[in-house]
Amino acid sequence: MTLIADRPGPGAARPYRFPPVVRRAAAGGQVVAAHLPGQNLAVALLLLDVGAGQEPVGKEGLSGVLAKALEEGTAQRDAAAYALAVEGLGTALSTGLDWDSFQASVVIPVDRLSAAVELLAEAVRTPRLDPADVRRVRDDEATALRMDWANPGPRADAALRADLFGAQNRWGRPMHGDPESVAGLDVEDVTVFHSEWFLRPGTLIVAGDLDRIDLDALAAAAFAGTGGGPAERGGPIEVPLHSGRRIILVDRPGSVQSTLRLGHPSPHRAHPDYVPMTLAGTVLGGAFTSRLNHLLREVHGYTYGIRGDFAASRRFGRFAVSSGVQTAVTAPALVEAVGEITRTQATGVTEEELEVARSWRAGQLSVELQSPRAIASALTTLVVHDLPDDYHARLRESLLSADVAQVSAAAATHLHPEALTLVIEGDAAVIRDDLEATALGDLLP
Amino acid sequence: MPDSGYPWPIQTSRLDNGLRVVVSEDRTAPAVAVNLWYDVGSRHEPAGQTGFAHLFEHLMFEGSVNVAKTEHMKLIQGSGGSLNATTNPDRTNYFETVPAEHLELALWLEADRMGGLVPALTQETLDNQRDVVKNERRQRYENVPYGDAWLRLLPLLYPPGHPYHHATIGSMADLNAADLATFQAFHQTYYAPNNAVLTVVGDATASDVFALADKYFGALPARDDIPPAPDGRSVPATGQTAVESVSADVPAPRVYIAHRSYPFGSPGYNVITVLATILGSGRGSRLYQRLADGERIAQPDLVGAYGVDLAHAPAPLIATATARPGVSAERLAEGLADVVDELATVPVTAAELDRAKALLSTGWWRQLSTVDGRADLLGRYTTQFGDPARIAEQLPALLAVTAEQIAEAAADVLATDRVTLTYLPEETS
Repeated sequence: MTLIADRPGPGAARPYRFPPVVRRAAAGGQVVAAHLPGQNLAVALLLLDVGAGQEPVGKEGLSGVLAKALEEGTAQRDAAAYALAVEGLGTALSTGLDWDSFQASVVIPVDRLSAAVELLAEAVRTPRLDPADVRRVRDDEATALRMDWANPGPRADAALRADLFGAQNRWGRPMHGDPESVAGLDVEDVTVFHSEWFLRPGTLIVAGDLDRIDLDALAAAAFAGTGGGPAERGGPIEVPLHSGRRIILVDRPGSVQSTLRLGHPSPHRAHPDYVPMTLAGTVLGGAFTSRLNHLLREVHGYTYGIRGDFAASRRFGRFAVSSGVQTAVTAPALVEAVGEITRTQATGVTEEELEVARSWRAGQLSVELQSPRAIASALTTLVVHDLPDDYHARLRESLLSADVAQVSAAAATHLHPEALTLVIEGDAAVIRDDLEATALGDLLP
Repeated sequence: MPDSGYPWPIQTSRLDNGLRVVVSEDRTAPAVAVNLWYDVGSRHEPAGQTGFAHLFEHLMFEGSVNVAKTEHMKLIQGSGGSLNATTNPDRTNYFETVPAEHLELALWLEADRMGGLVPALTQETLDNQRDVVKNERRQRYENVPYGDAWLRLLPLLYPPGHPYHHATIGSMADLNAADLATFQAFHQTYYAPNNAVLTVVGDATASDVFALADKYFGALPARDDIPPAPDGRSVPATGQTAVESVSADVPAPRVYIAHRSYPFGSPGYNVITVLATILGSGRGSRLYQRLADGERIAQPDLVGAYGVDLAHAPAPLIATATARPGVSAERLAEGLADVVDELATVPVTAAELDRAKALLSTGWWRQLSTVDGRADLLGRYTTQFGDPARIAEQLPALLAVTAEQIAEAAADVLATDRVTLTYLPEETS
């Protein structure tokens, strides 16, 4: 026999140690840093207390336009000179937005970090925002969104979000806006949003070899010329569930696949059920071996992949399932997916499944300790959600100790198969009758 | 210039059956990356069997003698790991990153599917994964605007019969025709220890890894008659330009200009890497400055240039731009061609060269900042050039490229056999 039949067990477990966290107030702002001795690369990330949630209704996409406009010249240099300065250091300004925060960051060899942070701050704090440039950036962003929205997915995502949260609310509209909302922005929207939100100090997050980094100097650069306090965050939003399932069909003529987006509202990030809810989502749709992926991909071959999870921001959350399935099997795929969500809600998870889910989620925390980028992201979580330095170690323990009863209870409480909105973006002429015949819910006009 | 692009230890061993084992210890995080490169890709596929190497990659997750269907995924994720595999024209790689105490499990799983896949392979599994791959083709290539650009560029760049003529995803007709016996033979032919490189990077010592490799892989038989892929190293210039225009459901005109350059790993390809960065990476690049910012005919997020890092034939160099509203495909194609052509006529400045090298340098360290990134590169250098230590020469080689070399490469590569692929929105065509 050339193969060894017996599966080896694990060796001695290595301890989980999140890098030492340094927190300090400096130069009018907050610094949160992690020490990664010997690491040649460093990350600096300026986290501002303004997210898509602060954009006025009707002005969706404002932060995205502003983010792009930051690099169109600063008080000190024009756009081309700025690009050359940043890229000449070997980095690029990377920006990101979610519902709760805005971030601008650089990844760079540690010996050039301070020069990069100075340039980062120069763009964020002192952008030129010349009206002609802002208008051009706005038009480009609207075009970019039009390009993106030509792909399957964004229109279905928007339909789901509007149906879950209501299009009259900012959080019922796409996080990054849509082509029309961006096209409708004017220069003043952008300049006012900048002066209201981007001149507050925020938090500077640093991951790197702190023996080679002067945090006070970085803070002085990052917080120069800032003032004002943190924003009023607002409490969790109560989002009512629908009574009864509904189907929304988004037409995509000629599509060879149907894009599925199934979902309902779920609790916000600080909810005490966060861990068991995450694990229930992992069993149902998170891991490759999840119930949904196993059934729709490995058993039926309907799709290249299907995922489902709970996601949460400070004020609200949602459960969602997404996939692309071959057009001809749209209806049976939908029936199977709803069936699996229903079964999970009704009968919970098994110990065998949960064992995979909690080990995976906990193990990923170890695997994610490697790169400065991943550590910076973990620090960002601490700041956005007001979590303590030992949060990741505690999270690991909570994941590993969650039992079948807790996770099944979370599935029973937080999955609502009867209140699902089922969005299907596909060839309506081909799939409409089949969808109606499933009797899964009312087909909205 | 740094002395080395790889400041970690590299230790190597070769088992009696020919399996090469590479270990690079790093105790920073309690994680370990396991990576296998098999020296088989879509370049080995004969006519009528396109897409088979990639479909086979899927079958490798569907069970082997001691591992049940989908159990591989369950065991790796159930130990906290992440995993995947990819197939390209050159090779197939399989990899997982796990908490360090699960190293032995990962090696056992890889050995079981290297040595024991065929008895577990069933018609039902093949039919299921054939459907999955066809859905992958729909999702990635058919159902997205411009999704088939790569499928169209390859046959324009490489003549019929060339190992890079067809795309790795394959054709629906060939996938439909795939039979079980072909896949059994495929495994027996190519999935031999002497056709693979096992790399382990991270929280493990080399002596432990060598002993474990011998324990799990040591008794697998070598195969001494592995057929080589067709030789594609020489592609005679035709002296022709190839122009293809596609009317499709796309939101704006887009143009690709492509050339055959030099194989990955050659000095020429290093020059092309720097050239492509100057041409199309970042807001300081020529394409951005000229087409997005200057003439404002291209969408800023969608200009770019890159080499495709294939090692067994002159590799593609591709430049692309997408029209701003109101700009015609002709105008865009002209502008793109002008900027590309100027690489041969307008000398690269010191500032351009410095910018490119700084970006490539950071990119290099980012790639090496994770154990899985390091493992994959070590597997590549061992498989393609016979020596993992060559990894250390890569960054210094990039940083040594000169403006003169770029001008020479531009004159050589861009002078002939240009491929231009244009997408036109259906309603305006």
